[in-house]
Amino acid sequence: MGAESSLPFSAPDMEAITTETGFSQANISRLYQRFQALDKDEKGYLSKNDLQGIGELAVNPIGDRIINAFFQDGRETTDFRTFVHVLAHFRPVEGTVGSENINSRLSKLKFAFQLYDQDKDGKISRAELLQVLRMMIGIQVTDEQLESITDRTIQEADRDGDDAISFEEFSKSVEKLNIEQKMSLRILK
Amino acid sequence: MQAKGFGVLRPLHGLPFVVGMAVLLGLLPVLHSRGSEPHRMARMAATPPSHIYPKSVEAPIEEITSAPPASPDVHPGAKHPANHSFDGHGKKRKIFPVLDVDYTHVRLPFEIALWILLACLMKLGFHVIPTISGIVPESCLLIVVGLLVGGLIKAVGEDPPILQSNIFFLFLLPPIILDAGYFLPLRQFTENLGTILIFAVVGTLWNAFFVGALLYAVCQIGATGLSHIGLLANLLFGSIISAVDPVAVLAVFEEIHINELLHILVFGESLLNDAVTVVLYHLFDEYATFDKITFTDIILGFLSFFVVSLGGVFVGVVYGIIAAFTSRFTSHIRVIEPLFVFLYSYMAYLSAELFHLSGIMALIAAGVVMRPYVEANISHKSHTTIKYFLKMWSSVSETLIFIFLGVSTVAGQHRWEWTFVISTLIFCLIARVLGVLGLTWFINKFRIVKLTPKDQFIIAYGGLRGAIAFSLGYLIEKKHFDMREMFLTAIITVIFFTVFVQGMTIRPLVDLLAVKKKQETKRSINEEIHTQFLDHLLTGIEDICGHYGHHHWKDKLNRFNKKYIKKCLIAGERSKEPQLIAFYHKMEMKQAIELVESGGMGKIPSAVSTVSMQNINPKTLPVERILPALSKDKEEEIRKILRNNLQKTRQRLRSYNRHTLVADPYEEAWNQMLLRRQKARQLEQKINNYLTVPAHKIDSPTMSRARIGSDPLAYDPKPDSENLPIITIDPASPQSPESADLVSEALKGMSRLPPSPEEDEDEEGLVMRTKEPSSPGTDDVFTPGASDSPSNQRMMRCLSDPGPRPEPEEGEPFIPKGK
Repeated sequence: MGAESSLPFSAPDMEAITTETGFSQANISRLYQRFQALDKDEKGYLSKNDLQGIGELAVNPIGDRIINAFFQDGRETTDFRTFVHVLAHFRPVEGTVGSENINSRLSKLKFAFQLYDQDKDGKISRAELLQVLRMMIGIQVTDEQLESITDRTIQEADRDGDDAISFEEFSKSVEKLNIEQKMSLRILK
Repeated sequence: MQAKGFGVLRPLHGLPFVVGMAVLLGLLPVLHSRGSEPHRMARMAATPPSHIYPKSVEAPIEEITSAPPASPDVHPGAKHPANHSFDGHGKKRKIFPVLDVDYTHVRLPFEIALWILLACLMKLGFHVIPTISGIVPESCLLIVVGLLVGGLIKAVGEDPPILQSNIFFLFLLPPIILDAGYFLPLRQFTENLGTILIFAVVGTLWNAFFVGALLYAVCQIGATGLSHIGLLANLLFGSIISAVDPVAVLAVFEEIHINELLHILVFGESLLNDAVTVVLYHLFDEYATFDKITFTDIILGFLSFFVVSLGGVFVGVVYGIIAAFTSRFTSHIRVIEPLFVFLYSYMAYLSAELFHLSGIMALIAAGVVMRPYVEANISHKSHTTIKYFLKMWSSVSETLIFIFLGVSTVAGQHRWEWTFVISTLIFCLIARVLGVLGLTWFINKFRIVKLTPKDQFIIAYGGLRGAIAFSLGYLIEKKHFDMREMFLTAIITVIFFTVFVQGMTIRPLVDLLAVKKKQETKRSINEEIHTQFLDHLLTGIEDICGHYGHHHWKDKLNRFNKKYIKKCLIAGERSKEPQLIAFYHKMEMKQAIELVESGGMGKIPSAVSTVSMQNINPKTLPVERILPALSKDKEEEIRKILRNNLQKTRQRLRSYNRHTLVADPYEEAWNQMLLRRQKARQLEQKINNYLTVPAHKIDSPTMSRARIGSDPLAYDPKPDSENLPIITIDPASPQSPESADLVSEALKGMSRLPPSPEEDEDEEGLVMRTKEPSSPGTDDVFTPGASDSPSNQRMMRCLSDPGPRPEPEEGEPFIPKGK
């Protein structure tokens, strides 16, 4: 489709992206089209406003967190490489995949964990969990109830008694969920 | 006789059963011979077994047994004049009959009841004698029993009844389908819907045409002498035999506990292929009379498939919505709530059948649609009732179906054609295997989690045929298809083969191939939270990609549901309850029960006197110390949990398993749990508070029950405010009067404790209120209640009162380690 000519990358860059993310060239060009569609002012990069302009994300309880996941290290803009990099986490897993691959179960879980752990201390503290629950459940529930749910959740998952959920505890608690299926989008194959 | 054989194994256990069976089996043929004396009405409606059974829905159902009036009516004429007093024109004066036998009067219900009783006794027998049922699936045993009963009836000289298609489709099949549809695990079903649909539609079509065409080819070979069977007839036969049967699949798969994915794939396929079967059957049946089919006919047939399936679903959805809406208003007449569910579903089925739409899909759609709303609206006793009734009916139905299959085999006229039957069998198996392989190859391109060859084998092997095929075959009119007997024979052979051979061997094969079994674990709150979180995450990512995928639409549907539909269909406050909260409450209660159980449930000292409970007499302390004492920490835990703000909750049936209805092990332990908690609390109160008990009259248990029970607020289902959510707990059912006494005593004792001084904890707590213990609601006990009465407040405070100084000891984790 002449995809290479419309992309602002040179061939080695494209190769780098392909190896890093595992997307096929067709997928990359499709994602680039989406990137361009989101980038309304044609700046060549995305700002938070662009992503917030997506209507459905606004009503998503954790929409803000998802958007922030694209903007690493407090930056204000995200370029295409980061964009693709983040989305690569959601590629379906085909066959056995080494755990260092970006779409392996481990890295999917790490990505999800990051969304919980906002202060990046490697643990989901009680306050962070409370925040997430509040976002998901909404306003109908009192603080007390949320606190008891939080307590309960941490109690269940916490094994080393630090009153927070570390990454290992997190992965243990979701081991029965079929993460490879739950965190994959077919379209990103 | 087989019953005697079992009796040898366990003489003591089996003896009453054996006697009962012998009586029953002896009774049946005797009654048959008596019953075949034609009653006047019966005579007119009686049809010989080989007669065409009318297809119309309004067929007379007086004749459940098609035993013809074989014996001439000379006999009854001689026998009955004495009984028919209105008959006589005053011919001769007879002696007034003191004891009279008038069997014909009750014949029909009597025989129906007898058959159902036989079915239930059979079920009982198989579980009393477990050795055989471990090897052979129940369905096989039931067919064998049917064969024996049929043989017995024939030996007596009567014609055994054949499974009438009308009875089957109108009475025996709907309970099973409703049970399946109401408890369908929706999440897995929708996740795999594409796969299921492809298997159901394309797979069945492929099977039908493959088998039909090949059989036609075989028939054309002159040597078989079957060349008069046309292509259409063969295609009709192919369409009948190709449908995977939900009854058989359920019966076999239930016992092997296979993982949910495979279960839902095979089972879903068996449900959804009904539409295809209906269309094909009617198509070929209609066109059998015509010599050639035009192109428009094919187009019309294609179109009718969509009409049948989507129409059926539409009818089901409409009835489901009406049922949900009705249930919104049933708060004042709780007792008939289950009836609404059953009736609306049955009406959906009948309405669909009325228009020749797919009744099964209507039933499934109705059950699926109405369930979330109905469950939010109805009381828990109704929920329990629905659950138990559905399981009961479907169990009995399934048993009856298999028994009748056996009987019909003996009863029917068969025409055994070696070539036809053997080739049918072979082609069916080949078609199934090829179909599954081919379709899986295609489907795996689109699935995220692929189907492994092991999965494919199980899916292919699980394609069992059953009674639906037989009934459809029975419906064929002889005048259009004179090879009907041959078809029936072949159908029965295939059914027997699949049920016996495949049914028996699937369990060892599953073990051999190490197929993943069902995970019997409970869902933790973590999993629930993370599942929801991931749902939102994936929806967000889909939106960023600009892709309208699975998550997007699911999210939209949920939002739409929350915003509009729930408000219409769910009464009161429940409409706003988030799913996570409901789940959480359910979990908490379960954990509380478990904790109490693990804290040393032991046995209830049966001799705990009611008096001692009330007096809180120091003399009785030693008695109560016999109780395994809960450690303070554990108690603290329990109290903490139960103190939490709990809105009204429901217990959702998580997974679908027909045979183990005792998925709630807490049913029996519930009473004891309550009791324990009261006792433990009281124990601590006594030790710590040294309170004096105000002098209350010692009520008898009944009085106390009446007093508490007459509290008008106890029946008020309207919740009052969100700040004060309530748990109302049902005490024991009357079946355990002892525990009922103890519980009511305990609760009564509870209410006497004065408000304790430490009320600075301004927390909302639990309100305990007893309802009249006359209803069996012991498995799930939450019903809404009001909270305003002062006694409630007092109880509340008592319950929330942790004692003089609640040390916030959370040293012990909630789930004891190593448990």
